[in-house]
Amino acid sequence: MSESQHSIVNRRRDRRTRRSVLLADRIADWTIRIGGIGVIVAVFAIIVFLAQVAAPLFGGARVESERKFSTPAATARVLGLWVDEYKSLALTLLASGEVSLVHIASGRSLPSARFDFGGDRVTAFGRTLADNYVSFGFADGRVRLGRLDISAQTLPGDAVPAHAERLDENNFADGQTLYARIAGNQVRKISVATRLDPARDIAPGKAIMAIDHRRGGTAERPSEAFVTLDEAGTVRLSRTEIRRNMLTGQERKTVVSVEFPPLPAGAAARRILTNEAGDEIYLAARDGKVLRYDARDLGAPVLAETRRLLTGDATLGVFGFLNGDQSLVVGGSDGSVDVYFRLRRENAITGEPTTDGFALVRAHALEKQPAAVVAFAASQRTKLFATADARGNVWVRHSTSEQTLLRLAAAGAPEAIALAPRDNGLIERGDSGDFGAWDISAPHPETILKTIFGKVWYEGYPAPAYTWQSSSGTDSFEPKLSLTPLIFGTFKATLYSLLFAVPVAILAAIYTSEFVHQSVRAVVKPTMEVMASLPSVVLGFIAALVLAPFVETWIAPIILGFLLLPLTLLGGAMAWQTLPSPLALRFGGLPKFALMFAALGLGGIVAYVLAAPFEKLFFAGDFKLWADGQIGGDRSLLALILWPLSFVVAWLAFERHGGPFGGYAWRKKLRTWPRTFAGIADGGRIIGLLILAGLLAAGAAIGLDSLGFGPRGTLVDTYVQRNVFVVGFTMGFAVIPIIYTIAEDSLNAVPAHLRAASLACGATPWQTAIRVVLPTAVSGVFAAVMIGMGRAVGETMIVVMAAGNTPILDLNVFSGLRALSANIAVELPEAVRDGTLYRMLFLAAIVLFMMTFIVNTLAELVRLRFRKRAAQL
Amino acid sequence: MSEAPSAIIPFPSISPDTGARAVRASDLSAHGELHLWMLGGALALGIAMVVGFLFLVAWNGLATFLPRPIEVATLADGTRVAGEPSRTEVFRVPADKLATLPPDAQERIRANNGTARRTIYRTGNYDITNEDFRWVSDFEARERAFPRDIVFVERLEWGPFIGRVKGLAVGGRALDVHDLRDARARKALAEAQERLERIRTIERKEIGAVNHELERDRLALRRELLASGDWSEAYRRLKARTEAGAVALQARFKVLADEARGLKQRDERDTVTLADIGGAEKILPLSAVVRAYYANDLSWGEAAGVYLSRWLQFLTESPREANTEGGVLPAVFGTFAMTILMVIMVAPIGIVTALYLREYAKQGRLMALVRISVNNLAGVPSIVYGVFGLGFFAYLLGGNIDRLFFPERLPNPTFGTGGLLWASLTLALLTVPVVIVATEEALAAVPRSMREGSLACGASKWQTIRRIVLPRAMPGILTGIILAMARGAGEVAPLMLVGVVKLAPEMPVDGIFPFVHLERSFMHLGFHIYDVGFQSRNSEAGKPMVFVTTLLLIALVAAMNIAAIVVRNRLKRKFAGGHF
Repeated sequence: MSESQHSIVNRRRDRRTRRSVLLADRIADWTIRIGGIGVIVAVFAIIVFLAQVAAPLFGGARVESERKFSTPAATARVLGLWVDEYKSLALTLLASGEVSLVHIASGRSLPSARFDFGGDRVTAFGRTLADNYVSFGFADGRVRLGRLDISAQTLPGDAVPAHAERLDENNFADGQTLYARIAGNQVRKISVATRLDPARDIAPGKAIMAIDHRRGGTAERPSEAFVTLDEAGTVRLSRTEIRRNMLTGQERKTVVSVEFPPLPAGAAARRILTNEAGDEIYLAARDGKVLRYDARDLGAPVLAETRRLLTGDATLGVFGFLNGDQSLVVGGSDGSVDVYFRLRRENAITGEPTTDGFALVRAHALEKQPAAVVAFAASQRTKLFATADARGNVWVRHSTSEQTLLRLAAAGAPEAIALAPRDNGLIERGDSGDFGAWDISAPHPETILKTIFGKVWYEGYPAPAYTWQSSSGTDSFEPKLSLTPLIFGTFKATLYSLLFAVPVAILAAIYTSEFVHQSVRAVVKPTMEVMASLPSVVLGFIAALVLAPFVETWIAPIILGFLLLPLTLLGGAMAWQTLPSPLALRFGGLPKFALMFAALGLGGIVAYVLAAPFEKLFFAGDFKLWADGQIGGDRSLLALILWPLSFVVAWLAFERHGGPFGGYAWRKKLRTWPRTFAGIADGGRIIGLLILAGLLAAGAAIGLDSLGFGPRGTLVDTYVQRNVFVVGFTMGFAVIPIIYTIAEDSLNAVPAHLRAASLACGATPWQTAIRVVLPTAVSGVFAAVMIGMGRAVGETMIVVMAAGNTPILDLNVFSGLRALSANIAVELPEAVRDGTLYRMLFLAAIVLFMMTFIVNTLAELVRLRFRKRAAQL
Repeated sequence: MSEAPSAIIPFPSISPDTGARAVRASDLSAHGELHLWMLGGALALGIAMVVGFLFLVAWNGLATFLPRPIEVATLADGTRVAGEPSRTEVFRVPADKLATLPPDAQERIRANNGTARRTIYRTGNYDITNEDFRWVSDFEARERAFPRDIVFVERLEWGPFIGRVKGLAVGGRALDVHDLRDARARKALAEAQERLERIRTIERKEIGAVNHELERDRLALRRELLASGDWSEAYRRLKARTEAGAVALQARFKVLADEARGLKQRDERDTVTLADIGGAEKILPLSAVVRAYYANDLSWGEAAGVYLSRWLQFLTESPREANTEGGVLPAVFGTFAMTILMVIMVAPIGIVTALYLREYAKQGRLMALVRISVNNLAGVPSIVYGVFGLGFFAYLLGGNIDRLFFPERLPNPTFGTGGLLWASLTLALLTVPVVIVATEEALAAVPRSMREGSLACGASKWQTIRRIVLPRAMPGILTGIILAMARGAGEVAPLMLVGVVKLAPEMPVDGIFPFVHLERSFMHLGFHIYDVGFQSRNSEAGKPMVFVTTLLLIALVAAMNIAAIVVRNRLKRKFAGGHF
């Protein structure tokens, strides 16, 4: 302020403000503005970023590039079509054994490879989904297995042989080997070779009509299974198991072959399929009739089921398994594409009786193609597959989500299609040698709104279900990514924690604000607030490692304790009422509060002492067995739940129609008696009401039980150590202080003149609190509950540690749950960046963000309204 | 309020029913005694919960390091169990177990409602028995004793050993010493400790430094390779130099390794032979003995010494044995480093934003909306911030930083994964609403008259804010910052995603240039609790340590909260006279 003094002394001073001041002001102005707006924008950018990461989940699929080219028409029937991992070569296998190679980028042909059949005529062909194993059946009844070997190597930049033919700028061919220049001055070498095992004489003299084979097992015990159908209608199954000693490299091979019983009369099977284990065989006829054989007992394969999988007069177009051999895709000449699961018979809705307890069930009916389905290609890693129809429509579909991802148009009538091993490309070969090749991108085919929030029918599941199971040990795993059980888990934890926290917090807040001395409040409130600063990881640790085992051992006394605490408090109050007024006035402060603690302690002790008889009486002697539904009945718990309710009902009934024992009449009478006697009389009335309520509750429980209503199986079920009962109680530590503080603040903010006016009119403190203060502050209290709820929804560590993390949908108080927050914390560290799971977890974060943001905003709006109202009073 | 009409009860003395009689009772229901007790009971329950919780943690945490007597229980079948009785509980005897007991024991249990008392002993000797703990029920034990010669040996590996000392060998020669308190034994133990220290210094510090230099040279070479290609002159020169340097470093490495090997060989010849209660013997190098004491023969002073030395070790050493033993220094350090970094970031950001919201922005409907949203961001679950931190900071920002500045280390991420910097940034984001709200409230509490006075005197807006408003708002702002620190220090969920690890090989601050390594992952007390309590081999064995860590964390958070209160009060007093 020296400047101003100076200016008074020297009036002719330059009146302009110093430049540095102006500059500092300008700089501060801009810094603060930019910084402030920047932070606000940045904070809101969080949600934008999360959304941007999660958005590709719903992006479906797109075609990145499309190429069409022609090659000379095939000289023989096309058996199969492959494309290598890098989408550089298209391989077409012809019935002559020739494998024609085409370089996709340039459309130029390479010299063909070939399987040498020694002049035999191929009548049947089968292939595996992965690793390019092939099987051929011949007209003379022999069978040969083999493999089309496509291998890729990365070599130094100078590895291209000098004599290699140049295909285009970066690609060179040398015989059946392709060299492609790639980034980093390196060369990728892709070579094709064929391998054919010795022939096996399976059906001497009879042409093989259909064949299928599978390779499976583990590295130490590879297994092989193949099935054949010959022209006489005989089905033969052969399973080979190889035990390989990994140390010595020795192999022991066991081959078991079996001939199936003759097919039923009139069965004209054309196609045959086996699963990887070789114990489930499917034969399909032209009209779509499928014979399912159960070969689990190799000695006696039985026909388990006969069922037509097509409708109307449609004929069978495609028939094959998806990755994992659990989903059977059936395409008909009417364009239908359906996916069937083999499920336990009791779960099947329709169909003929089956002999093995299983039945085929149509799990997914996919969108129909416009024309007859003629070709099919399944993904090697997901449930993605493609179907092509006679009019040249090639559709990329996904079985789990039932969506059609892409609709491509082929040049002509497709003869064969193939999906690239990495699901990032598709090629199609028309009957005149025309090729269509597409680079596709379908990173998250399994996620649409329906699979994320709705019921989905997963492989092996008896019915559509809400399931979260993001990973598993096997390659053919179908990810189950429904957020519904997680959202449910979040709500369940929130509900049970609020059930405990809201009454405790609000009652305590009212008492603190209205009934204790200012000096007590100054101690009590910070004490409760200490609870809020307990790190949740500490709460979680105590909940899981101390509380959960403790509760498990002492569940009966704890339940009894929850019942007894209000009762002992009630008892304390009744005893207090009998005190002569001078004493009651004199000890009305801290001693009374101390007595309340004593009443709590007493409740605990009584609960401990009475636990065994209580458990015997209500839970047939063992709570956990009882909860599991093994012993006892529902009535006991029903009566316990109904008791407080019927007490309220009885109380209200007596207030209205109690004659001399209720309402004003009773109160008038109480006033005429000496205080001690009045206290005893009133206590007697309450006890009478409690007993009456007990009888009412027992009667109602018996009635409801006989009607079949019971808490077991829904609210109470099998006891699990880490359960929502423990979580709800522990979460109380996190939620109670928040609700308590905010509710207490808003009660305290009620203007003092309102209280003074009420008290001056002769109302007691209790009447003032309940009729004047609470109604005024109710919106603030409501806001407190909402904010507490927001905290419960987002709480992570307690749920991670104490909730058991089982994503199930049930209301059972004694089972665990998996909440959105816990799920993110547990799975995100392991999720592959930008994978489906990674994005799903971002979506879960958005859902969580939205839930809490909406709840908190509502609370904030209510609170602002309350503030305005309180200010007006 | 359906009974509202009856609420107004005529004052008793003028009630016609009572007439002239003196009124000795007022209306009981008007006092709502029954309801009052419910309200008070809820408050009592809340307080009991807090106090009980703190008591539980404090009791367990403080008692963990007490040297406890070792009890030897002889079971009915003659086997003996020696261990620290760590917990006693009453349990329900399973029916099948009950049936196998002698009749009198059955009778006693029945009389006790089917329950019996059992004690869990920390028996140690995991390498011999494959268990750390053993339950002994009262009906199993025939006899209990506290022999004075039982020794409790804390070892570097395998947890504690409980048993007797059979013999001692120094330099491979057996000594006639059977008591570790003997002067010769003490001397040998002290020497072994010194040797161990030396071996550790060589292996960790000196060899570590050599390795660090090797790695630095390798990375420099690779950087040159990526920058100018393998044909360039600069690369070839550097390569030659690096190779020459590597030879020298290898030689240094060899000298150090030889010294360490020599010390280790010497070390192996100083051993102690221990025998467990059943007689199974175990030969242990003396250097593997962290601490040994005769648990049943301790004076008060010795017991206090053991207790204090355990605390000291806990606070100043690194963890051992999958974090279940040793100290938590790295975790304490990590927690502090992260919290301080967080404050450095959150304080200016939060204050600037609050200044903007309160002093610069035009107050209107939009600002009210922004304010509500900022308020509510404080309620957004911490894990959501963790998800953002991982996706944005670590993967997006960090990934790009790696590509631009650390291409030589790829594909190993430097900043492209969780680390100290990203963790503190994430927590800064998480706590910024707390600071904004607190600062705004503090700014709002500065009387308008002071601002107007300042402006009227000709001060500029910024001068007013800097000289008048901010100093008066400082207590509130500091409180907000300290509360943010307390919240940040206690958060674990987001850290699990952005850089906390169970065991960090290197501290984020050390003696190697540039001294502060923001990209390193770090340890954290909260995560330590989660990890030891849930991921370790035997959560029962880790539990005492978790209690101590819990106590430490709660103390840390509580200290910050108390600091907030103290700072607020002091500053309030300081500026109390500033009003006019």
